[in-house]
Amino acid sequence: MIRIKIVLLIILVIILTISGFQLYHHRHYQIPIVAGPGVTRVLKLSHYLPSLKGSMADTWVFFLEGQEPGGKVLILGNTHANEPEGLLTALVIIENGQVEKGTVIIIPQFNHSASRFTRPGDGYPLFFEIPTSWGKKKFRMGNREASPLDQWPDPDVYIHYPERQLLSFLDARNVNRTWPGRPNGLPMEQVTFAAMELIRQERVDLVIDIHGAETMFPVTNCIVAPEKSAKLATMVSLTVKAMEKFDNHVEPSPPKFRGLSHREIGDYSEAMPFLLEAPIPFLDQPTGPKTERLLLDGRDPFLLRLARKKKLFVPYDETGWPMDKRVGQHLSVTLELLKQYSRRTPDRAIVIHNVPRYAEVVEHGVGYYFVNPSTVSPDKIYFN
Amino acid sequence: MISQIVVILIVMIVAYLIGQWRHFSVELSLFFAALFGAIAGAFFSTPHWSEIFRHLVEGSFTYLDIILVFSTATIFMTILRESGGIDYIVHSSMKALSKIRPLALLVLMIIVLIPGALTGAGSVSLLVVGAPVAAALRHLGISRPRTAAILFILAGLSAAAPPVNIWAMVLCAGTAIPYVGFELPLGLPVILLGTFTIFTLGWKREKNGPDEVTLAKVEAFLGMSWWRVVLPFIVLFGLILAYRLWPFKMPVLGLPLEFFLVSIIAWLTSPKKLPFFPISRETMARLLPLIATMVVIGMLQQIMTATGVRGLLSYLVISIPIIVLFILLAVIIPVSEGILTYGAAAILGIPLIWYLDSLGYHATVAISGLSLLWPLGDGLPPTALIGRLSVMVSNFEGSYWSFLRRTWLPWIVITIVGVLMVVFSHKLSFLVRWSVG
Repeated sequence: MIRIKIVLLIILVIILTISGFQLYHHRHYQIPIVAGPGVTRVLKLSHYLPSLKGSMADTWVFFLEGQEPGGKVLILGNTHANEPEGLLTALVIIENGQVEKGTVIIIPQFNHSASRFTRPGDGYPLFFEIPTSWGKKKFRMGNREASPLDQWPDPDVYIHYPERQLLSFLDARNVNRTWPGRPNGLPMEQVTFAAMELIRQERVDLVIDIHGAETMFPVTNCIVAPEKSAKLATMVSLTVKAMEKFDNHVEPSPPKFRGLSHREIGDYSEAMPFLLEAPIPFLDQPTGPKTERLLLDGRDPFLLRLARKKKLFVPYDETGWPMDKRVGQHLSVTLELLKQYSRRTPDRAIVIHNVPRYAEVVEHGVGYYFVNPSTVSPDKIYFN
Repeated sequence: MISQIVVILIVMIVAYLIGQWRHFSVELSLFFAALFGAIAGAFFSTPHWSEIFRHLVEGSFTYLDIILVFSTATIFMTILRESGGIDYIVHSSMKALSKIRPLALLVLMIIVLIPGALTGAGSVSLLVVGAPVAAALRHLGISRPRTAAILFILAGLSAAAPPVNIWAMVLCAGTAIPYVGFELPLGLPVILLGTFTIFTLGWKREKNGPDEVTLAKVEAFLGMSWWRVVLPFIVLFGLILAYRLWPFKMPVLGLPLEFFLVSIIAWLTSPKKLPFFPISRETMARLLPLIATMVVIGMLQQIMTATGVRGLLSYLVISIPIIVLFILLAVIIPVSEGILTYGAAAILGIPLIWYLDSLGYHATVAISGLSLLWPLGDGLPPTALIGRLSVMVSNFEGSYWSFLRRTWLPWIVITIVGVLMVVFSHKLSFLVRWSVG
């Protein structure tokens, strides 16, 4: 019996060592972010709340400033680190965008801790790779919530500040439930508070929070906007439909659902918030295996059958919802928001060049727009 | 791809059945199902061979928090029992109330409902107050299997009761529906169904007189007093309530630390000297099967997702025609809970709520209705989490099925109420409006 126990113990140690190494590698893998020619300043989010300094919650903030003064926009990627279209969209702008007027501020990994956490029970791949002309660019696949290694324990129920609305205990680690945050709160509340400070101190006009949502979720393929942003969102929705031939309807931000960026940023600052959703079949429950391929091409036999039974909220066929299409939509909607806003308020205009739109990304693939980190000066590369 | 997933599902079922046939424990059989499912999946690179160990280990952490709550809560209750506090509660409360039977039953029901309602876990109700309430029910002349049946149904209802309902919270988080307006849609049926359960199962006195054995034992612990028993509970509920009342001033302690703190208080206030660490070690040994279940269920859930089996099951549920679906809810929801525990809410519940929402059903009331059905599954194998705990705390030594059979009447009534709440969710939406004010 003792021999059997020793053998089992050795097997257990081997299993734990192999898997432990893989999980350690995931948490410590560094994604190089290349600061493109348009990047003028790079700060840490802790600049706006020093208590974040040195923690996993701290993250890079990239500034792309134009020669001419104008308005300011804040773009957030990886609010949910298992919706990577947000990160990829932000990186395309950071590496390529050049601002003529106004300022574009980008936080590509808003929930940095979540990007270094897997999702136990959900069988995600640890990494995904985007093909480029110079090889494959590798990314960590993260979680919706911050890692318990960085914020633990969870409360038995999360009570939103300051509205006192009861939310799921998991939402204490979800930065799209902790807005507007508080300076001495939980780490994720500090992250959103620091972002609110950035919005207030920099006098940001627009905030664009980029996400992905399930095809079976009614709030998908859309722009979520509160009352103050609704007109602009509607204009953008109609324009992209007419000019670029893709749907992106407007969803009103529910006033009684607290903690979300599209609700609290508008209520607690002068900025107009928008939350962009593109369909990400990988997150749907009735799908086949959760593979890197499903994440990238969004093709699934179960969803196809459900689409035929009219049980999805987006059009869906054999082509799926590829990553290029999702990123392309986000880029076009973002650019259109800046264009329409600049037209309405010329003194606060934001003009940016060199950022591809929907058709270009679908044609070339998102990887086409990533710069090879080995070809640029090391001082242009940032690791979170 | 679909045929490949069906093959993997068959491999998992066969592995589980072989484990059972060879008389392995449920936990080992489930582990074999997960392991062989992963190996079968690896032939199709879902997951890749190199990822099998990582998926098993990562999945084993899915319910780590729940395991910590179980463990610390049980250590607390064991210390309280060893100190003689439980016997003291039974003796004193029954002395005061046993002559007014309906009142005694209602008080016992409320005692069981409170811990689960505050924490969202029926197991906490059983671990904290299960043993003394079981003794009190026996004192009222209720047999052990009926006592276990009452505790099982009430613990399940306590988990569904507001303010904290984990199934509803998981569904709300996954469907972006605010966790508000659940007070009446959950609270009203829980109180009514709880009263129905304790009166139907506990009204009849099955033995001739009160069970004096438990009461006699109290004499051995002369140093015990009310304040020694009540103080740890006051601290526990005080900590939970303090966070509700002053959420932005109180530090987040988490349930495991709160239970650990009150364990220390119970140990310090015990009238006799207790060996803290040996008691903790013995408690963990007793809990090992439950912990193993939660660990293996996490592994199984991870492998089912990585191989596509979870998606197949989810697809089948939402493909069912709506009328048939309503009828099958009575089976699908409890069975899914029995297999996956809280994971069932994510796997089946989220697409189900989206589907019902898209058809015009009221999501909050529908979630409340489903929340009444899920706890029933906690009595079903392979996990039978609450059922097994109910049997454990009531010291029932008969067969598991003889206990479960006793629950048939409240089970059917709860099922009917839960399904009707889903079907008529729109007509019951006034409960949500009244809750929100």
